[in-house]
Amino acid sequence: MKNRLKVLRAERDWSQADLAHRLEVSRQTVNAIETGKYDPSLPLAFRVSRVFGKSIEEIFDPEESR
Amino acid sequence: MADNSFRDLCSGPQRDRRNQWRIMLWTFLWACSFVAVTLGIKRQWLPFGGALTGVIATSLLGLATVHAYRRFLNETDELRRKIEVEALALAFGIGAFGGLSYWLLELSGAVPATGFVWIFLVMIVAHPVAVLIGLRRYS
Repeated sequence: MKNRLKVLRAERDWSQADLAHRLEVSRQTVNAIETGKYDPSLPLAFRVSRVFGKSIEEIFDPEESR
Repeated sequence: MADNSFRDLCSGPQRDRRNQWRIMLWTFLWACSFVAVTLGIKRQWLPFGGALTGVIATSLLGLATVHAYRRFLNETDELRRKIEVEALALAFGIGAFGGLSYWLLELSGAVPATGFVWIFLVMIVAHPVAVLIGLRRYS
């Protein structure tokens, strides 16, 4: 599943550690999601959506496969 | 890219680091108690009642270690939980199925009889190795 996490994070000038802190996950989790190695659970996807103020569909693209 | 596996093992939210310290503390206490009771029994330093008390104390420390690990698993972030569960599955698989295969080989006389303690040692080593492999995979 593709996502726009890296772009959205860069727009806000946040580091992976900043985003990890906001999402209450490890930096590694943010990195794994950004690189497409790990797909977040629904609760974490909702937290990502809340942090960026965007809908899940605007951040994650289910049509794209790894 | 630099390998951050070990750093990732020790990093993460403060909640995870606190829980990891708890696990290490209980594991250390359990290991000390296990070694002391083993030596006490083998070298006959402990009377029967003392040995029994030592075994009960070691078991309680083991339960505390399991409780601390369970708490860590419940509270850690989801990727780390996935890595830990995969590592547990691998360690269990190696221990259970590898151990039983070795037992069959023992029965057939192909390998020497070594007892079952080594299976637990292999499981104890396999888990952190599998965690490190998982951390590398998702780095």
